[in-house]
Amino acid sequence: MFWLCVGACAAVVMVLVLVVSYLVKIGAGSLSVSFFTQAPSGDVANPGGMLHALVGTLILLALASLLGIPAGVFAGVFLCEYGHSRLAMPARFTADVLAGVPSIVVGILGYELLVVPLGGYNGWAGAAALAFIMIPIVARSTEEMLRLVPRSYREGSLALGATKSQTILRIVLPSVGGSILTGIMLALARIAGETAPLLFTALGSRLITYNPGRPFPSLTAQIYTYATGPYPGQRALAWSGILVLIAMLFIINLTVRAVMARAARIRV
Amino acid sequence: MKRPSAATHMSEVDVQPGSQQAPRRPRSRGLGDLALAVTAHGSALLVFLMAAFLVGVLAFAAAPSFKRFGPAFLVGTEWRPNELERPKLGPDGKMVIKDGESVMEIIPPAFGALPVIFGTAVSSALALAFAVPVSLATALVLVRVAPRIRLGAMLSFMVEFLAAIPSIAYGIWGLFVLAPFLQRHVEPLLQQLLGDLGAFRWMFYQRLTIGGEVVERPLALTGRDMLCGGLVLAIMIVPIITSVSRDVLRAVPRAQLEGSLALGATWWQSCVAMLHYGRSGLFGASMLGLARAAGETMAVTMVIGNNTTIAASPFAPAQTMSSLLANEFAEASSELHRSALLEVALILLVMSLAFNILARWLVVGASARPSDAS
Repeated sequence: MFWLCVGACAAVVMVLVLVVSYLVKIGAGSLSVSFFTQAPSGDVANPGGMLHALVGTLILLALASLLGIPAGVFAGVFLCEYGHSRLAMPARFTADVLAGVPSIVVGILGYELLVVPLGGYNGWAGAAALAFIMIPIVARSTEEMLRLVPRSYREGSLALGATKSQTILRIVLPSVGGSILTGIMLALARIAGETAPLLFTALGSRLITYNPGRPFPSLTAQIYTYATGPYPGQRALAWSGILVLIAMLFIINLTVRAVMARAARIRV
Repeated sequence: MKRPSAATHMSEVDVQPGSQQAPRRPRSRGLGDLALAVTAHGSALLVFLMAAFLVGVLAFAAAPSFKRFGPAFLVGTEWRPNELERPKLGPDGKMVIKDGESVMEIIPPAFGALPVIFGTAVSSALALAFAVPVSLATALVLVRVAPRIRLGAMLSFMVEFLAAIPSIAYGIWGLFVLAPFLQRHVEPLLQQLLGDLGAFRWMFYQRLTIGGEVVERPLALTGRDMLCGGLVLAIMIVPIITSVSRDVLRAVPRAQLEGSLALGATWWQSCVAMLHYGRSGLFGASMLGLARAAGETMAVTMVIGNNTTIAASPFAPAQTMSSLLANEFAEASSELHRSALLEVALILLVMSLAFNILARWLVVGASARPSDAS
């Protein structure tokens, strides 16, 4: 049985390595400079690059962060620092529940709330859907980090005559700022890879656009369109897109892990 | 640190910073406090609003479908968004002929959710059947073997990174690698080995009614079917089940393990003791995997074949709730169609929330037990 378990573990690692190495191999094979520098050419034999999608994803992430980071962090502050409020337990539960909502359902909500009233697919709806996914994740991770701040910090600050808001904003939050930032990075990594919520909101576009009022490109939606389409040139772009996405997530994860390990060492 | 809920309960007691403050303070200072309190409460309110909007908007938009179909929606076996035109059959079962031409009749669209509920249930069940034993074994290795050979950190990082890979990446791999592999190598082999045994015949043949006769035909093996969907889902949920199970197993008290070893248990017997001790948390880990599998969209849409019918065979194309939404929502042909899709979304939401709540409840219970491990 021991060897069976070790075998199962080895099989898991092998399958996962197989998947990732395949994605990396094929993706690297078709990756070129034009992927990062060109927009789609409209010619299926020579399809250009994914610059529009990269720009689109970055703008969507920025817009989602504008709403998602402050709302998430302050919701986390509420959960920890105003924990005696009668709302705290239900709020924590709701955030947990929201974190488990299937992302396609979030996309449908975005369609009903922001696409139908605004008269068409648009980038705002996509960003809002991503923010919807982001807020509960950021809120819970911020709360967890704030709980690590020793009580003596708060008491010391209050004893020196600081108000509650000064204590929270100038003492408590900065003392775990790095950890909160890593939580935010993980949430960003998660929404950068989301496709389903964008299908019915931002939809996708073949143009480099800076106007979120119109259908908006994103890396994941473009990968999906290309991968399920019939043209080999576009499929190759989809593979490269996957590689770029995975590389991005890998770097974020590695950084987060390094930062967390350092933070843990310092705290102990 | 990945799983917030576990730590929460333990440290709940110690933070109540603002509750006993200095009795008097200047008015001007209260303004900042007020602003922060309002912002924080506002953000919490936003979280409630999000949940309320989610349920409210979906329910409101699904109302026409509720009214039209009622509870029969859940058990309707036909999902056909378009009208069907077919020759009208007379009471004797023959085509009605008028002026030398057969009379056509138009059947209105039908919406029943059973095929997609079936698809979600079966694909998730397949995924769990593949993923749970493997994940538990991996978690056991992570907890009991890996630390001794200094592989723990690396394996843990791998598992966590793999949980972060977006589903579209698994989807594209499933579509271009796994599905063709199943179609060319695995499924023909299985068909040769098992196809003519009576007990497995239903997997490889489909029964069709053509012109009143029942015909049995071998199933066309496409590779993009229920089995492929289940396998891709299994690969996707192994990391999450493994990492949660690992935390649950770590919380098993050291005394439990040492006790069983002291009584002469073999390595595996002591593992069984650990699994038994952490059973509710491990069940919760599986439920988390199930919730993820049931809500998963992109990967499944790309590999499951997207055929909205109920077929018993795992080698037949199928459709899950989420893949149905991904395929049809943008091109819904009528108001009723869209409303029916929204009702499917609502069912999906309620189902995955139920799994999630149950899982969190079980996992928090298991990892918050006092433990002297580590």
